[in-house]
This record gives sequence, C-alpha cells and structure tokens, in this order.
Amino acid sequence: MIKRLILWAAALVLFISGVLPVLSMFYSSLLLDGHFSFSNYLHIFSSEREWILLKNSLTLAFLVSLISLFLGVPLGLLLGKADIPFKRQLSLILCIPILIPPYIMAVSVDNCLGQEGILRLFLPGWVLRSLSDHYFGLGGSVFVLSTVYLPIPMLLTICLLKNVNPSLEEAARLCAKWPLVLKEITLPIIRPGLTLSALLVFVLCLGEFSVPSYLRYQVFSVESFTQFSAVYDFGSATAQSMPLAVIALLLLVAESRYSRKNLFLSTPLVSGTKRLEIALGKSRPYLFILVSCLAFLIVIVPLLSLFYSSLDLSIYEEAIKVAGDALLRSFFYAFLGASLLAVLGFLSAYTIKNRQIWCWRLVDMTSLFLFAIPGTVLGIGLIATWNNPWTQFVYSSLLIIVLGYLARYHVLSSRIILSQLHLISPSMEEAAQLAGAGWLSRMVFILAPLSKRAIMAAWLCVFLFCLRDTDISLIVYPPGCETLPVRIFTLMANGSPGLISGLCMLMVVSVLVPASILWHLRWRR
Amino acid sequence: MLATKNVRLVLGVLFFALFSAGLISCTNKGQDSENTVVVYVSEDQVFSEPILKDFERQTGIKVKAVYDTEEAKSTGVMNRLIAEKDNPQADVYWANEPIRAQVLKEKDISAPYVSKNAETIPDVFKDREGYWTGFSARARVLIVNREVKSEPKSIFDLASPKWRGRAVIANPLFGTTTSHIAALFTVFGDERARAFMDSLKGNEVAISTSNGESADLVASGRYAFSLVDSDDAVNRIRQGRPVKMVYPDQGERGLGCFIVPNVVVMIKGARHPEAARRLIDYLLSPQVERKLAFADCAQIPLHKGVEIPPELKPLDRIKVMKVDYEKVAKKMLEIQPFLRKWAGLK
Repeated sequence: MIKRLILWAAALVLFISGVLPVLSMFYSSLLLDGHFSFSNYLHIFSSEREWILLKNSLTLAFLVSLISLFLGVPLGLLLGKADIPFKRQLSLILCIPILIPPYIMAVSVDNCLGQEGILRLFLPGWVLRSLSDHYFGLGGSVFVLSTVYLPIPMLLTICLLKNVNPSLEEAARLCAKWPLVLKEITLPIIRPGLTLSALLVFVLCLGEFSVPSYLRYQVFSVESFTQFSAVYDFGSATAQSMPLAVIALLLLVAESRYSRKNLFLSTPLVSGTKRLEIALGKSRPYLFILVSCLAFLIVIVPLLSLFYSSLDLSIYEEAIKVAGDALLRSFFYAFLGASLLAVLGFLSAYTIKNRQIWCWRLVDMTSLFLFAIPGTVLGIGLIATWNNPWTQFVYSSLLIIVLGYLARYHVLSSRIILSQLHLISPSMEEAAQLAGAGWLSRMVFILAPLSKRAIMAAWLCVFLFCLRDTDISLIVYPPGCETLPVRIFTLMANGSPGLISGLCMLMVVSVLVPASILWHLRWRR
Repeated sequence: MLATKNVRLVLGVLFFALFSAGLISCTNKGQDSENTVVVYVSEDQVFSEPILKDFERQTGIKVKAVYDTEEAKSTGVMNRLIAEKDNPQADVYWANEPIRAQVLKEKDISAPYVSKNAETIPDVFKDREGYWTGFSARARVLIVNREVKSEPKSIFDLASPKWRGRAVIANPLFGTTTSHIAALFTVFGDERARAFMDSLKGNEVAISTSNGESADLVASGRYAFSLVDSDDAVNRIRQGRPVKMVYPDQGERGLGCFIVPNVVVMIKGARHPEAARRLIDYLLSPQVERKLAFADCAQIPLHKGVEIPPELKPLDRIKVMKVDYEKVAKKMLEIQPFLRKWAGLK
C-alpha cells in the first residue's frame, strides 16, 4: 500500500510540476477570444516566416549535432581509450563549456573578436572584422553551441567505452590493427549511445534560446520567447514551440526503442576487469598537441578573453557586490532542486525499471517530453497555472522556480539512477524481502545505498543544470528572487562589458567548484 | 552501526525539510511585510538598480524588483502586469516610456496618484488624472558616423535617396521605435505616415534588433546613421566611438525631437500602498533626475534647473515634437497590424 502511495505521489509531483502547466498552455493555445480555434496552429503553417524559423532551428540543431558528434567521438576515443598524456585534465577543460550558461560562451567569444578583444593582439584587423561579421548569425551560433555541447558525445563515448567487453576487442586485435577494430567492433557496440548523444545535442539545440538570441539568429525558441515577453501572446508562444517539441519527442522515442533493441551489446563489466588501451606510439605527441590546441582554442581562449576584459580588481569587487545575494540564491535553489530531484529521480527510476504502476511508461515519456520542450514554454505554463490568489504561496516564492526545475530536469536524474538500478541484481531486494524487510526498508537500506554513487552523480549533474538554468528562471522568478544567470542576462542590456565579464567569470568559478567534485568522484570510480 | 546510519539519514531528511520550509516561509514573509515595495522595471537594470538601492538606504524600505531583459524589448514586465491583473504582485511600475503606462491605464491596471514632487514637471509629461507621471527623459536622436561629411539633420533623411541603403533603424515592432512611429502617425495622419514608412522600405533602410545594435552598426561604420535613443548615442560617445549625436528637425519649421520620458505608475490593488507612494515620490525628485543625467543612460531632467553633463542639452533648448501621449498610446495599438505587415511578420 505504502509503496503504491509513494510511487504515485512521485508521479503526481511530475504531473503537477510539468504536465499541468503544459496542458494549461496547450489549452490556451486552442482558444482565440474565448472560442475554440486552431488558428494559432494554422498560422504556423500558413506564414512563410514560421517555415523559415523552423528551417533555421533544424539547420542549427543539425549542424551542431553533426559537428559535436564528429569531434566528440574521436576525442572520447583518444581521452577514454588511448594513452594520451594529461587525459584527465584535458577532459575537464573540454567539459567547462557545458557547465556554464551557454550565453556566457557567446559573450566570451564576442569578447575575443571585439575591438578590445584578446585576439587583436594576434590577428590583423581585417581578419578580426571578417570573423566578427560572420559571428553574428548562423556561423557564430553553430560555433558556440558546438563548443557547449561537444562534451555530451565526448563524455558518453568515454563512459560507453568502459562497458565494451575487452575480450571482443582482444579477439579482433589478433587479426587486425586498432583502426579496423574500432571501426568494426568498438564503435558498432557503442553506436546506440552515440545516437543518443547526437539526439540529446539536437534536442538541447532546438530548445536553446539564449545563444541564438544573443547572436541574433532567428529560431523558433527565440520567437516563442518574444511572443511571450513582448507580445504576451500565450497561445501563439505555445503553438510556436509545439512543432519543435513534437520533433524532439519523436526522435527521442525512436532512439529509446532503438537503444532497447541494442541493449545487449553494451553490458556492464565486472569491476576490476582490465580494459584495453590504444598505444598511440609515434603519433602520441602530435595527437596530444592537436587535442591541446583544440581545448585551447575553443575553451581557454574565450575564457581568457573574459578574464582579460575583467582584469581589474575593482571590477571583481563590483561583480561580487552585484552578484552577492543572487549567487547565494542560485546555490540554494539549485541545492533544493537537485535534492528533490535526486529523491524523485530515484523513485521514478524504480517505477520505470520495475513497472510498478500502470503508467510507468507515461512517467518516462513525460519526463522526456518536458526536457524536449523549450524552457520558456514551461515557464509560461507555470505562470498561467499558479498565478492566482489561492496559489499565491507558490507563485510568489521560490517554489515556482523549483517546480520548473523538477519538471525540466527530472529526466536527467531518473535516467542516471535508472542506469545504475539496471546493474543491481534483483536477488538483493528479493533476499531482503525474504528476511522480512518491508518495501520502504528495502528502498532505504538496500537499493539507495547500492545506488549511492548514481544518486550522488545525479544530484551533482542536476545541481549544475539548475545552477546554470536561464530559460525557466528568467520567466518565473518572483520579485527580488532572481538567480545569478538571470541577473547577468538582465544586466547585459547596456551593462559595462567589464562588469559583465567579471560576473561571467564569477559564474564560471561557481560552477567549476561543484563540477570538479563531480569529476573527482567520477574519476576515482 | 546500521542503526546510527539510519538515524543520520532520518535526521538529514528532517533537517532538509525544515530548512526548506523555513526558507520558503521567509521568502513569503518578506514579500508580505509592510516595509517592502515590489517594483517592476522596464528601465535597464544597470541604471535603475542603483537608484532603487539608494531608495532602500535612505528609507529603510526593502525594494523587490523584477527587471526586463533586452530580449523582452522593454515590454515583458508590462505584459506580466497585464497577466497579473486579477492577482497583482507589483506595487509600482517604472516604465521607460509613457505609452505603455497609458495602455495600463486603459486596461484598469494602474491607480491614480499625484505626487507632490510632480508639481514642477511640465503637464505634457503627466497624465491629467494622475495615472502616470514622467521623469528623466530620453530624446529620439540621430546617431551619425563621424566619417560622414554632410550629416543628416532630419528623420526625413531616412527616406532621402541620398542616404539609400545607408541608414538603419530598430525593429519598429518593439520599444521606443514603435512609440516614435505611433507619434508620427498622430502628427502626420495615417495616410502620410504610411507613405513615410513605405518610403523607408523603398530607400532600403535596414532593420536591426534594437536601438543599441543600430548605434553599434553606425559606430562600426556599417551604416552612416540611425534613429536611436539619446542614451544609446551618449553611451557610444562616452566609449570614444567615432559618432556624434544630432537632435533632428530643430529648424524653425521643423517637426521637433520626440521626447520619451520614464514614467512611474502606481498599481491598482498594490499590497504596499504607503511604501509605493514613497517610492514614487522619490523617483520623481530632482536628485534622481540628476543621478540619471550623470549615469551612462544620460537622461534629460524634466525638472527645471537640474544640473546636467556637457553632452546633454537641457529640455528648454530642444525643440520638442508636440504630441499627446494618450493619443499616441491608442495609435500604437491601432497600427500594430500595419507594423507587423511592414516588418514582414504577417
């Protein structure tokens, strides 16, 4: 009884935090002047501009997925399987962009290319001007987002390589060299994971609004935000997000089915199993230089540029003064969101793995859908749902932001914990049950400790996503409760470039501290 | 050992729950306190926040603010006010132009309040019934690249063949550009104003996303001139960019320069009316106008005799375009379909 009650309660939280706002948005998008109408949706297909926006969104997402996959997989192979030196440090550096709000990377690159930027010390003026001209638009958006999402395929490749059974590679190595083994054995085994990584990048790009908005590239997510913020047209804003959400959901569902079919290929290894490492031989120093140059160009130079343009102690004094309470709030909201999501994710993962309630598949699909829709739509839905006198305690407090986090990032925590639950033998729980332990005891004293590392990883991962969140917080934050990414975003209108850079550096450092802990935990494992 | 762990776990969960509940209740309590004022702000945060902090220091009243972003084109919080009509969260709205304040009045979202500090502000910048009051204004000016030899002097130069393809304006669907066009409609009449807008298109006037971007495009030499807000122009001049600011149509028979004051509005059903009135009085004081004049936003004081920086002209030395902001507000709503069509959205 208590089991069903708790699992249903977890599903209900997901429903209240995510489904209710989206349904409310969908309903309002079907109303025009109080009457039922499909005009908002018909407008999408009748207006030439909407098709251009759709084309732009898909082009951006496709190019970024392609580039990050084609760079991320070789990097993952080099850093996860080859004997390249300083692989740990290089991996951490390449992961920095995904840990900070994406628009900060856009600002950093803009700083590099600007008239006062660091690159003016190395490049002639006409080259800088030409780069700067091409930066605003599709080119810049693709570059920044590829840098931001490159770590997804790279990290997934590194993780998936650890699950490849070395005996298969050993057998292949008897008659073939490494390139052929990678092509015929290793990569086909991890292909489902790589497909997932490309799709994740695709979906994240479809929903991303801060970078295209900063770089003035017109896509659906920017249009949706403008419809809400400048025109306050709920119906139109929702309708504009739906095509992207449907495309993203269809892709994720297709991937989910494809991965399930191929699950047998990547089975977990018994700990202590020795993995095969690729000896790079003579090419080792060259490849090291190549990877280092890439890390330097796409991560270090933009961050150095931020540092360079805020190279004054007084700027940091002011930045700390300006950021002060917003930084503390960001940490607290992220802490609260991550803690609730760790519990919710654990319960949902258990529900999905053991098919404990009849709507287990709906829980899984819903969390995927909520991740796929643009954060702005979720934010709008939260306002529409909770802005009334009876729910004032939610609307005017940080609860509204936390609800947004729960809906948006639920899929991350549940998926991370689910992967660990799959590795725990059912016999553990059965043995405890035979010994008389109730369901709650089994959850708390058997499954939770066995999933401890996954829960911690999920907590930290979600913590980082909540900490860098801009889309939802920007729309729903109650008066005087803005987070640091929101404060930086609102200050960017006519704020001094030095102060903005200083604030961005502060944000980078704030995210890097917990990220380093996560990295340490992961590597130690 | 296991028992100790269990106790720790339970205590941890309890601590977390209590901590969360405590913090959440604190958040609500802060907002309900009488010594608080909630203000929605369309003026850029970088300029408005220091003023609000000064108010906090001087009065001890806690200010809770929601700021607009550049992407929301200065209308995001106004629209949030509209959505919150039946459950108002804000006490005061600091708008960066009077038109949207007029819209709030028409939608019955604002309440009248006549501040004693508004007595010396010219009547044209105040609502007759006290629903909004103007202070610190921007002028709509031409920003011109210094490389340009014979500078444009009128907004009609935007449509002059001499400047074909060399001028840029911000998207007329948003911000002060919308207000300016609506003002032209009230002065010219619909037919002439539509013809003027069409002539801009014919003259290949480029469209940027904001006045700030227009100013940057002129400063970088991509375009010769643009119609922007005076703060955008002064900002670039102070940054040492190669631009100058021209107050348009200043001749004897000229149209005059369109002035866009900030306005402050009391929200109907404000939860903290007394604190709201004190904030409004403060914002309308000459000392705030002086601060905003010397800040990077370089706004023109509406009170007479307030000290200003050398880059600015006092209001009495500018030929001002004569408009009725109430009519401009109505016209702005009326011309939305035309502007959307003009901008190629429908």
